[in-house]
Amino acid sequence: METPDLLPGTLDMLILKTLTRGPNHGYGIAQHIHRISNDALRIGEGSLYPSLQRLLRSGWVTAEWGISETNRKARYYRITPAGRKQLAAEVKSFDFLISAIARVMEGA
Amino acid sequence: MKLWNTVWYWMGRARQDSELAEEIRLHRERLEEQFMAEGMPREEARLAAARQFGNSTAVIEESREQWSFAWLAGASKDLRFAWRLARRQPLLSVAAVLTIAFAVGANTAIFSVIETVLLNPLGLREADRITVARVRIDRLQFRHVQTSAVEFREVQSMTDAFAAAAAMEGRYWTARTGGEPIRLRGQAVTQDFFQVFGERPGMGRFFSSEDRESVVLSHGLWQSEFGGDTSVLGRTLMLDDKPHRIVGVAPAGFRFPANAQAWTPLILEPQRLQRRGYNMSLWVFARLKDGVSLAQATDRVSRHLEALKSSAEGRELSRSGYGIEVDPVAHFVAGDMRRPLWLLLAAALVVLLTGCANVAGLLLTRSAGRRREIAIRISLGAARGQIIRQLLIESLLLAALGGICGLFMAGGAVSLLTRLVVPRREWLALVTLDRELLLYGFGLALLSGLLFGLTPALQLLRESQASAMVRGGRRRFQDVFVTGEVAGAFVLVVMTILLLRSLWAVERIQPGFDTANLATAFFIKPKNDPGFLERLRGELNSGPGIDSAALAFPLPFSGGGLTSGFNIRNRQRQEGEPEWHGEAYLVSPEYFRTLRIPLLRGRSLTAGDNDTAPVVCLIDARLAERFFRGQDPIGQEIAMYKGWARIVGVVGAIRGTTLEEGSRPVVYYSLDQVPFFPQAGIVARSAVPSAGLIRQAVRRANATAPVYDVRSMEDRMAESLGIRRVMTLLLAVFGVISLLLATVGLYGVVAQVAAERTTEIGIRMALGARPGQILTQFGWQGLRAGVIGVGCGLAASAYANRHVEAMLYEVRLFEPATFGPAGLGVLALLIVAIWWPARRASRIDPQSALHYE
Repeated sequence: METPDLLPGTLDMLILKTLTRGPNHGYGIAQHIHRISNDALRIGEGSLYPSLQRLLRSGWVTAEWGISETNRKARYYRITPAGRKQLAAEVKSFDFLISAIARVMEGA
Repeated sequence: MKLWNTVWYWMGRARQDSELAEEIRLHRERLEEQFMAEGMPREEARLAAARQFGNSTAVIEESREQWSFAWLAGASKDLRFAWRLARRQPLLSVAAVLTIAFAVGANTAIFSVIETVLLNPLGLREADRITVARVRIDRLQFRHVQTSAVEFREVQSMTDAFAAAAAMEGRYWTARTGGEPIRLRGQAVTQDFFQVFGERPGMGRFFSSEDRESVVLSHGLWQSEFGGDTSVLGRTLMLDDKPHRIVGVAPAGFRFPANAQAWTPLILEPQRLQRRGYNMSLWVFARLKDGVSLAQATDRVSRHLEALKSSAEGRELSRSGYGIEVDPVAHFVAGDMRRPLWLLLAAALVVLLTGCANVAGLLLTRSAGRRREIAIRISLGAARGQIIRQLLIESLLLAALGGICGLFMAGGAVSLLTRLVVPRREWLALVTLDRELLLYGFGLALLSGLLFGLTPALQLLRESQASAMVRGGRRRFQDVFVTGEVAGAFVLVVMTILLLRSLWAVERIQPGFDTANLATAFFIKPKNDPGFLERLRGELNSGPGIDSAALAFPLPFSGGGLTSGFNIRNRQRQEGEPEWHGEAYLVSPEYFRTLRIPLLRGRSLTAGDNDTAPVVCLIDARLAERFFRGQDPIGQEIAMYKGWARIVGVVGAIRGTTLEEGSRPVVYYSLDQVPFFPQAGIVARSAVPSAGLIRQAVRRANATAPVYDVRSMEDRMAESLGIRRVMTLLLAVFGVISLLLATVGLYGVVAQVAAERTTEIGIRMALGARPGQILTQFGWQGLRAGVIGVGCGLAASAYANRHVEAMLYEVRLFEPATFGPAGLGVLALLIVAIWWPARRASRIDPQSALHYE
């Protein structure tokens, strides 16, 4: 099955959305997105980590080391209040975009 | 938030990097395990994980880049590129850096002087609110001279215009602080002096109305003579053997006037207030009242002068062109240096601008070779902003290097300046390069970098977008540059020639006496030693090695004369006759023999003209010719310095103030017949001028008498020429440099045009054009820029002339001797600059030219 390209900028949104369920580590985030989208969205780890760093820099997530459910060391990311605000804004503009695209597609 | 996170990240960057690597490693392990759990063998799982993850080093790289300051990284890349480019063409880069360095250095150094004397005169607080009131008397050609006590009281009484006024009078003291007697320079000042300048005492207090024999020390004197001892207050300082109580110390920043070491109270005796013009020895300073402008204060003073006219005295005053002028205190500090300083700054700016134009031309020439590179980069998607940034960084790099070198040059120049000792220019020692000036210099360099960088950058961008058609536009740019350069250089060359001719004329002036091999010095007459002068004269004239020596006050070229009006017995001044005004010299009889001033008529002074004999005097030829035209002055009586004195002889006129100033009418009195000043000068002629001989003679006469200001007569004269020489030299340096820049600039333009049109020339030659035709074609093109430049320069020099007029001596702007050499010189250089590349163009071999591209 072909993995569709993500719309630019949506990866940040997906990560933030995932983190609203609770703190998670990079592997867990990738797994979660993969699973929830019914295997449709596979996140390349190559873009996951730069994206996480970008979120850290913007102050939307924080990170700290912890022990994973399988008793391993892992770095856990946690969404911040600023991150939630950002997520709300991104969801809103994403919805707007999607409905606009849908209208165009229906009209065609 | 973002910035703070970024800073935080960069502070712990190494740890952050290793954590990221660790995180990624753990992630890959989990992936491998997952694949193995799905049934893959270990080795295959490892490969699958690696495939899915991609190059983990690249991931780390990219993750790290999220944190970088993108523009900074780009700029540093550009900077490195610019540095490589600069090193690839070292000659061009060095030329650009040196040009900017010199221009920035000259500008900064001159600006630091202007800052010290004009903008922030001697660091005075609110200097723009402090004014100096000075007298002018047009009939005597007096301008900006000291006032008498009457004017001071008048200014002081104008309380509607001035908040406070003070007067000061110069003083020299012999001070004893323990060891050797030292000579101090200072000022006697009225009570409000420090208040006018808004100063508070550094220690102790300033003067009150009760102070008589008190003294306030300058911070410098307090440090040097008292070691900064805080217990000096209340101690006694012996000034001229009179005890003075030290009541205060001025703050460190207060140095007014620049050479003052101490201040004493000035008490104006009632008789000084009786007559205007009696003892004009006061400098009057006044602080403008809040809300009153300088113009309003000037107005107030002229209304006062107008009111004076109702009296007979007032009418007489206005006939002689008398007036009181109020100027900013900066004019007092800078004196006659005001215009020359601005002129020098303007000249340095011309050098900076021609330098910029030239560097811009150089960069433009260099960038011509990069047109293709830039076109390719743009077509590959480079943003225009990026390209401009890169070009600008190249020029800013050169500018910054030039600026730094320039600031070092300025530092050297300023430290040289501060070591110059020039009388009446003591403020030179106070010139410093402070932080603001360094910023000014560096800012100037960067600004010029922008200026000479932006033009080629924009031009290049336009070119790379369009065809070679716009290349003509570049030449227009360069034509304007070169025309401007030629104009600027021409102005400086004309100014230089004016000053050089003036200097030459002044240096050739004979002052009227034999100046070679004369040593001069001043001494202070010891108290309680009645036979001192007699002994000193004996020692001087019997001393080994001294041919002839005399005492005199003042000495020629020592900066101070006894100027006074006079009367002639049985005569009234006629209408239209020059003012009866001259200078008195008090001399011993050997004076004329020592200076070799010729006796024209009558007899000289003799030892017999002493205090028991009737008072006699000599007059000089200038006075005789001006006031005794067609009469025999011998036997007539004149009253100037002391009662009626009979004229016994006429001697040759000398110039004794400055060389430029014509000789003034002089009356010579015998030292023995007039009250003696506490100090006097010695002039001694010997085989070689020897200060030591004078010192020894004074010591033999009385070991405690201080000797000071020991210099040869030629040194004194050179001093009056000093500022003129320095000015001329500086202007000449600026002129030559800007001329060279203009020549190189013009050469560059013509050479470049010729290079661009090699093919065209080749075709034309192949079709039968003669080399001469090619030569003329290029020659005219360059010459046009040169001639227009000279024309603009001509107009500009007419304007600039006003600023040097005060320094000119018997030369004028609009005369052939000025414009001839300037015009011919500039044009000759320009023709060389044009001819050289044009001739090369005319010698192009058509064969190779056609294979050129």
